[in-house]
Amino acid sequence: MKMTTATVRHIEHMELPPRISEFRRFLRVFLSRKVVIFGSIIILALLLIAIFAPLIAPHNPTQQNLWETLQESSGKHLFGTDHLGRDVLSRIIYGSRISLAVGIVSVGIAGCFGMFLGLLAGYFGGIVDTVIMRCIDALLAIPPLVLALAIGAALGGGLGSVMISLGIALLPTYARLIRGQVLSVKQTDYIMAARVVGCSDLRIIMMHVFPNCLPPIIVLVTLNLGFAILAEAGLSFLGLGIAPPAAAWGAMVNDGYKYLLTNPILSFAPGLCIFLVVLAFNLVGDGLRDALDPRLRGTI
Amino acid sequence: MVQMLEVRNLRTQFKVDNGIVQAVDGVSYHIDHGEIVGIVGESGCGKSVTQLSLLQLISSPPGKIMGGEALFEGVDLLKFKSDSEQMRKIRGGNIGIIFQEPMTSLNPVLTIGQQIVESVMLHLKMDSAAARKHAVEQLKLVGITDAEQRIDNYPHQFSGGMRQRAMIAMAMACRPKLLIADEPTTALDVTTQAQILELLKDTVKHFDTSLLIVTHNLGVVARYAQRIYVMYAGRVVESGTSNDIFANPRHPYTIGLLKAVPRLDEPKGHKLVPINGLPPSLINRPPMCAFLLRCSYRTEKCYQEPWPELKVVDGQHCVSCYVDLPAKKLGSGGNVTILQLMNTAGMKDPSAELSDIVASTVSQKDQLTNSTYQSSEEILLEAKNLKMYFSGTKGFFKHEAAQIKAVDDVSFKVRKGETLGLVGESGCGKTTVARCILQLYSPTGGGIHFEGRNILGQPKRGLRNMRRRVQLIFQDPYSSLDPRQTAGSIIGEPLKVHKMVASKQEYSHRVAELFEMVGLDPSMEDRVPHEFSGGQRQRIGIARALATNPSLIVCDEPISALDVSIQAQIINLLEELQEKLGLTYLFIAHDLSVVRHISDRVAVMYLGRIVEITDWKSLYENPLHPYTKALLSAVPIPDPFVEEKRERIILRGEVPSLLNRPTGCCFHPRCSEAIEDCSSIVPTLKNVGGGHEVACIKM
Repeated sequence: MKMTTATVRHIEHMELPPRISEFRRFLRVFLSRKVVIFGSIIILALLLIAIFAPLIAPHNPTQQNLWETLQESSGKHLFGTDHLGRDVLSRIIYGSRISLAVGIVSVGIAGCFGMFLGLLAGYFGGIVDTVIMRCIDALLAIPPLVLALAIGAALGGGLGSVMISLGIALLPTYARLIRGQVLSVKQTDYIMAARVVGCSDLRIIMMHVFPNCLPPIIVLVTLNLGFAILAEAGLSFLGLGIAPPAAAWGAMVNDGYKYLLTNPILSFAPGLCIFLVVLAFNLVGDGLRDALDPRLRGTI
Repeated sequence: MVQMLEVRNLRTQFKVDNGIVQAVDGVSYHIDHGEIVGIVGESGCGKSVTQLSLLQLISSPPGKIMGGEALFEGVDLLKFKSDSEQMRKIRGGNIGIIFQEPMTSLNPVLTIGQQIVESVMLHLKMDSAAARKHAVEQLKLVGITDAEQRIDNYPHQFSGGMRQRAMIAMAMACRPKLLIADEPTTALDVTTQAQILELLKDTVKHFDTSLLIVTHNLGVVARYAQRIYVMYAGRVVESGTSNDIFANPRHPYTIGLLKAVPRLDEPKGHKLVPINGLPPSLINRPPMCAFLLRCSYRTEKCYQEPWPELKVVDGQHCVSCYVDLPAKKLGSGGNVTILQLMNTAGMKDPSAELSDIVASTVSQKDQLTNSTYQSSEEILLEAKNLKMYFSGTKGFFKHEAAQIKAVDDVSFKVRKGETLGLVGESGCGKTTVARCILQLYSPTGGGIHFEGRNILGQPKRGLRNMRRRVQLIFQDPYSSLDPRQTAGSIIGEPLKVHKMVASKQEYSHRVAELFEMVGLDPSMEDRVPHEFSGGQRQRIGIARALATNPSLIVCDEPISALDVSIQAQIINLLEELQEKLGLTYLFIAHDLSVVRHISDRVAVMYLGRIVEITDWKSLYENPLHPYTKALLSAVPIPDPFVEEKRERIILRGEVPSLLNRPTGCCFHPRCSEAIEDCSSIVPTLKNVGGGHEVACIKM
């Protein structure tokens, strides 16, 4: 034992800025880019609008007024009125409830179940992989909108069935993407190290495999949101989604296109909202990916 | 007389996000006709960038050559534009280049022949038929058999060594006046390394070409180079003839490097003296000597003055250091010189202390090895007739096409508290043995007894218990740590998994203790692996392995991915931990000097079988198997005096594929002592006395 005490031991120090808490570091990186702050503000604002719609909306969104159809933008009706004389602004405000819900829930369903299946297939391989992936292949063979239509028809109409059918239609992409990620992460030394340490499969999947598969998923989620909102319009148009008097952005774009030349604001206003949602989620997704990337630590 | 190549005051820098990297900072060197010159340094010291700069192969931006001259036969190459006619004539024409990675430096979609013919037609203005004939001659010259047929092969059909031969053929095909070999053998096995270096030497001699070897391996240059330049942080810190450098090193960095490398010819038990600290970051470097903070000879002056210029100390010997280390002309280089030098030079400062430690360690380690040797007969791990076969399947119905016997009937014992070294060339099954022991593979046959119990085929709970007792240290410190976990949670994970701590306080206390045990600051626990250097990452890996208080640690090439000056730190750490915690190591490595340094007993593997196993002393002093002999003789020793006297056995050919293992003794096609029976009789391990077991029918 004498030797160990005699040996000059060097504790290595690193000259780096003092450490802050994990959450504050995350926030600092996340909010370090202006566009990310911009995106976050848009999402936050839209969520608030959706929640407090009855308080904000100047008119009843379903109240028809056939004396005031297809009006231009004015002080009374900021975005004008539609062919039934309903106030477009109020309809957009109420529509945000359905559109955001459909977008977020259906992508959420696709993401959760897709990633779950992909993780199982990729991690365990063999027969589990074959069974799951052949089912996924079968789903992929049908175009997503047609698939959603079929599932929606089977489930019957209504908001819930639209969300579920869109979720299932989007699911295969997630499963495939994450399975590929898992296959490459599984080969790394740190997964083997976790096995040597004695981690259970569940722990390895949750602690080591999943976090390292996440970045491409974040990108896919932000891209899919817009698709889900528009697809809801398609389904509603075919009578599977929301019943006519209720407002949803996709349906409003659809209704308004007949008056595109005379009254373009009918389509443009809800279209702009969809654009803003997709853009905002994209920006936030970028920020999220950077904030979670350990390689960018210390540089931002 | 005009020198072949003279580089004067070359400066290259790279612009990065947070500053400027001064990669080459005023480097000057020269090469004469027919001379072999070595440039030595650790990774990131600018040795390769220097060569790329003078050939103008630096990608720009971010790189930029800021100044200096590169006179090739009196003409300044830096005056030409990078893509000018003249430069293209120089590159591949007058100056040939061989890169480190033979896997990526050949184009996989062109045949070997097409690639040689292309450059021959371009530079020697031959027609395609003549160029092809020329290419075949070149391939023959570098020792590729059946060159006429193999010229139409694609790179993937060549083995690593053959690809490097093809690279040499390609570089030499246009009869360059200078050949630059950038780490030509780093990716190769030690026996192949010896072949390639011999080939390089003979080829340049044959064509009267000058050769510049760029390497981090001091042993490689000791054997071949006439003059050596030692680089550190973008500068040449010492230059001279190889006798000057090895027998009488004058720069603290060179001295440090020589002390940090274990050697085949040093007394066992000699503790390595690592260079402390980390290589400096080259971004916005302060003007002082870059080695300052790691130097044990530093004085006040070093802190105040800028980096000293190279000054001549003796003939061709130049050093860039303010501290005048005493020169000693000693007959034979090596240890004695270094130790003596340390003693004489160390009067002023910490190295006196260091040499005391060295002396005390030598005696202690000797005692220790002797005592462990006699006392501990308890067997901790025993592999009995271990077999691991992988089957390759083919076609739609997955019928078995071939069986790869990665480990074939391997038996060995590891006693408690000892280190068993496992050596062999790549592909000999070392890592497979390790993975079988760790139950990452389920062996095809045989048994593994750990602490007296067979651990194969036991239920999950037993496996988890075993995982606590047997741990692994990985080769690559970069890929073996989860990039998204903090250092603290990586080290603490085993504690949580095995529920070894009762409370949060105990957990953080234990994690901090583990950090300190491996020489890391516990305050770094919430940093992610990316923020650590290679050596520090390896320490984290070691701490993770120690967390469960294992009794056996399998070290799978734990230092081969690290820089020379860091390797010694890790070896010392492993030795210290072994002593303190009574650990048993199974130490897998291809570097025989390191294995000799750390092991009590050594097993040599070849193609999935153990060919020789004994205590380190008999193995290194009296190797009996021809393969062991060849391996040992292939290891370069960083000392030109010793190298001159050494007798060398160069192995023929390369390790055969496991798919077509030779009949009988699988080493017989390469063996210089093979007799007829060798091809039919499979030799088994025979005890030849004193626990020395050899698998050779001639014993």
